[in-house]
Amino acid sequence: MITAPLESAAIEGAPDAELVRIRDLVYQVAGIFHPDNKLRLLLDRCGRRMKELKTNTLHEYLECLTVKPIRQKELIALLNEITIGETCFFRNQPQLDALRQIVMPKIMEAKAPLPVRHLRFWSAGCSTGEEPYTLSMLLLEESDARLKDWIVEIVATDLNERSLAHAKIAVYGSYSTRNLPPHYRQKYFAPLGDQLQLGPPARSAVNFSRANLADHDSPPFTNGVDVIFCCNVLIYFDLASKRRVIQSFYRDLLPHGYLFLGHSESLYGVSDDFRLVHFPGATAYVKGERPPEGRQ
Amino acid sequence: MIVTTAAANKESLLKRLDGMRQIPTIPAVLAPLLHYLEQPVEQVDVHTVADLIAQDKSLAAQCLQMANSPLFGRSQKAESLRGAIVGLGIHRVSDIAMSCSVLNLLPAKNGGIDPIVFWEHSLGCALVCRRFARKINFADPGKAYLAGLLHDLGVIVNLWALPQEFRGAYEVAREEGIPLHEAEQKVLGFTHCDSGGLLAERWELPPDLVEVVAYHHAPQQSVNHTALVTLVELSDLLCRMTGLNYGYVEKRQVNLLEEPGFAALARQCPPLKNFDWARLTFELDSYMDEVHTLVRSIYRS
Repeated sequence: MITAPLESAAIEGAPDAELVRIRDLVYQVAGIFHPDNKLRLLLDRCGRRMKELKTNTLHEYLECLTVKPIRQKELIALLNEITIGETCFFRNQPQLDALRQIVMPKIMEAKAPLPVRHLRFWSAGCSTGEEPYTLSMLLLEESDARLKDWIVEIVATDLNERSLAHAKIAVYGSYSTRNLPPHYRQKYFAPLGDQLQLGPPARSAVNFSRANLADHDSPPFTNGVDVIFCCNVLIYFDLASKRRVIQSFYRDLLPHGYLFLGHSESLYGVSDDFRLVHFPGATAYVKGERPPEGRQ
Repeated sequence: MIVTTAAANKESLLKRLDGMRQIPTIPAVLAPLLHYLEQPVEQVDVHTVADLIAQDKSLAAQCLQMANSPLFGRSQKAESLRGAIVGLGIHRVSDIAMSCSVLNLLPAKNGGIDPIVFWEHSLGCALVCRRFARKINFADPGKAYLAGLLHDLGVIVNLWALPQEFRGAYEVAREEGIPLHEAEQKVLGFTHCDSGGLLAERWELPPDLVEVVAYHHAPQQSVNHTALVTLVELSDLLCRMTGLNYGYVEKRQVNLLEEPGFAALARQCPPLKNFDWARLTFELDSYMDEVHTLVRSIYRS
């Protein structure tokens, strides 16, 4: 007679124990989660690092990430591999759909009674500009319709001067534009050699500035924003810095504001001040009821 | 006035159900399996369970196919039902048998409504319920699975009883991007919770499952089983916000912590107070892929 059901279904258990430990480490430290069906991708990223380090097994590599003196440096190298190529136009379509179809109507409704109709977006850690320019194009599409009487402002910040310089020139190769829908490609871009350059209308809507999110005070131009995008940026911060950044986001966001993170990126264990909300195929954070002061 | 209308609608629904020639009958394997598994686990026997399932040959074949999916913990391929029970355990295989038997009640594709998406949603919800139940230390994850599987029994009833009208409701839901039960209320005057509740009672399902079927869109109305009903409600919402939906996108924002019944579930399951919703959400990605693959392969064969 067999009575005990096997508790560890494959989907709930581990294809490879070491890989799952690396997955959990990455989630714990950086807040990026690889579900079981993305473990192969994580394995591939680890493989690239293992080749570099000349380690042969995941067990050895896990030691590089946890016990060896190089562990902090190696973790950053792995995170770089994980996020490599993440920056592109229209990177996260469900997130953009949620913004357009659900978030913007809610914000516009909340702000409708105000004398000045003003929407402010902040792309925090904008890298080479794909994210804020995607926003810029999406919002321009609506400038003659529901945004007709609205002033729209997009602030984009990054720590890296070179990334910002690239963003301002706004010339992009095929990798960055791989998800760009034909409509946007034709309407907003012009060919420049074998690359594409974004035209002035979409460029002029974005204000780029250098800012370090880890600074104690966020830059003054980010106060009172409606939506913050901060994708795959917090992963590089230690817990204390993450908490500081999130607290400043909390202060910067208006009461009805939204914080969008990268795909599969989580604030669990970082902040109790924000609440996770779900949209079709995407998540975001909204401000909770309790004020953040005096709490960690 | 509203109460009278609702009562009249329910009355008329009851009449329509009574008048139906082909009301779904409880699947042959469901009642005996549920009944058999109620006894102490030490007394449950592999052969009896295998024989119960094997009475229906096509069901047995589907079970084997499902048992060999990664979703149910396949470690090596089982060639027979008994082999599957040895590998996965009696309860897991019983879950599979009950899943197939209930989902087989879905009528074949009928004018725009694809039964595959309801299969996927019900099976996905069952798996998410069990996963979620384990994570929050809910007392009976097996029950949670069954509750997730059966929660949309009313959709099956509506597809059988009022296919044209239900299709109308489904179209409204899809076009407006609203929850199915809201569209049903608009178009039919009742929801799959009402019709499912009636069928669940008629099938003499256990009271907790009847409440899940009847109140999973309004856990606050649940009388004795608010925690289980809420667990299903939250899992259902999570599924509908991911690719395990009804085949269309609901254009809405969901805050799970504000759902009615949340407090009742949290009282029974303390881990819920500090729960990692983000991780559970991301984990659903894997279910989505596997459920799609499995259901499509079952339909192909």
